[in-house]
Amino acid sequence: MINQQINYIQQIYRIILTLIAIWFINLIWPFISDVILMLVFAFLFTTLLLSSVDTFERKIGNRGLSVLGVVIILLTSISTFIGSFISQISIQAQEFSERVDQATMMSEFKSLGDKMTSAMPSFMKSEESSSDYLANKLTEVTQSVLGSLGSLVSIVGNFMFIAIMVFIFTIILLSEYHKFKKVLVNSIPNKFFELGLKLIYNIEKSVSSYLRGQFLSAASVGGMSIAGLLLLNFFGANITLVIFIGIIAGLANLIPLVGPFVGMIPALLIAFMNNLGNDAATSHMFLGTIPSPFFCIDIIFMFLIVQQIEGNLITPALVGKSVGLHPMLVMIVLLIGGTLLGPLGMLFAVPATGVIKVIIKEIAFVRKNAHLL
Amino acid sequence: MKSAKWENIFKGWDNSESEAVHTLKKIPVFKNLSHKDFNELENMMHHRDYKVGDFIFKNRAPGEGMYIIMRGSIKITIGTRSGNENTLAELEKGEFFGELALFDDEPRSANAIAIEDCKLLGFFTQDLMILQERNPVLGHKIMFNLGGLLGERLRRTNHMLIKEQSK
Repeated sequence: MINQQINYIQQIYRIILTLIAIWFINLIWPFISDVILMLVFAFLFTTLLLSSVDTFERKIGNRGLSVLGVVIILLTSISTFIGSFISQISIQAQEFSERVDQATMMSEFKSLGDKMTSAMPSFMKSEESSSDYLANKLTEVTQSVLGSLGSLVSIVGNFMFIAIMVFIFTIILLSEYHKFKKVLVNSIPNKFFELGLKLIYNIEKSVSSYLRGQFLSAASVGGMSIAGLLLLNFFGANITLVIFIGIIAGLANLIPLVGPFVGMIPALLIAFMNNLGNDAATSHMFLGTIPSPFFCIDIIFMFLIVQQIEGNLITPALVGKSVGLHPMLVMIVLLIGGTLLGPLGMLFAVPATGVIKVIIKEIAFVRKNAHLL
Repeated sequence: MKSAKWENIFKGWDNSESEAVHTLKKIPVFKNLSHKDFNELENMMHHRDYKVGDFIFKNRAPGEGMYIIMRGSIKITIGTRSGNENTLAELEKGEFFGELALFDDEPRSANAIAIEDCKLLGFFTQDLMILQERNPVLGHKIMFNLGGLLGERLRRTNHMLIKEQSK
């Protein structure tokens, strides 16, 4: 009886402690959330780059130099990509602005609206959906997008700060990873030593195999998108910056569910910019039946095929097995991640759930086999 | 009197090996390894301290790898049906135990208990797998030595079996 009472008191004590801990985390969360996010990013980059640094270290025998070598290669590739992308896109934008002034844009939208209205079945046509209304709306949207570009500067500044901090954290983690891990392992009490070691190893394995799988699948999406866009160009789609669009589609694919749709936006924008004023492209019909101005339906269809191949063939083989989560659970955690942290939350939702799954599995094992420890 | 300043300056020049490397060199699993190999192994090893009476592992617990005794001594025991403990072996400095766990997922087949305060070096399946990835040549050498050790034990067991049968 007394034992039962003590148990109840212990339970109540634990619940109170948990509630206090939740309240405290909630209180300090706004101050630490950015740092935690940076550390998580740095850990993910470290996991990705660790094997390259280790390989370099074995060859040259110096950890610091190998970190420096990998970082220089990475920074050179990223800056080459961003630099050439910005220069290409600015050339493209300049050409576009020289070619199209506001009046031309208005008239183009008007003629596009006319074509779309005439292609609609008669029951869908109404007084309100006139071509003028459509043209005004499209012009409004385009101009509001261009106008909001100025506010991007502050966002870019904030992003740069986070990127620099993540970069510094990544370099520190890469240089000291094995030492940090050893300190962590040494701090495990003897009773839980082998179990703790296994847990750390399983978490490492789960995160790194998930990341490698994701990057391989992103690379395949990038490759397939480039091939698809080149094929569309063969049929006269006139899409430039194909390689950049492919890389963006591949990177966007890292965010499950939403990513693939983000990936097709640059392709649609560039097809629109390049083909504005081109009558053949404006009146293009997808498979000769469905109106597809500026090849937009063709592009969407091509990306849908790429997603189907990636989703049904490549990802199950590369990523699915590494985390082993039910698709329903993946969708739920994506929604939770998206609500909490936006696109970043969606990016980390699946690997974080994978890690939590590993921890829960090990805790369940400990509870079942406590007498063996 | 030695000056700490000069000791620090010439720290890297000192070629004397650490206690861990000195112990590892005596273990047949790590024979025929170079100085560089031992240094890499030393970095991977986990140093653990146990007080007298501490369990290093328990019978039926999941096994993750082998331990090498750097200081102190341990006993390997197994519980009998009558509830007593049978001591199978007592191991001292420079000896090792639990190496079968490097190869299989089977649980431990006995208890390992410290009979005096001891310092152990732990080498685990995960370490061996990482080593295979990071330095395959060293990984293969260790695997080859482990294979040789197990082969030797099997040969000895067969010999004992034949001797028993012929009695």
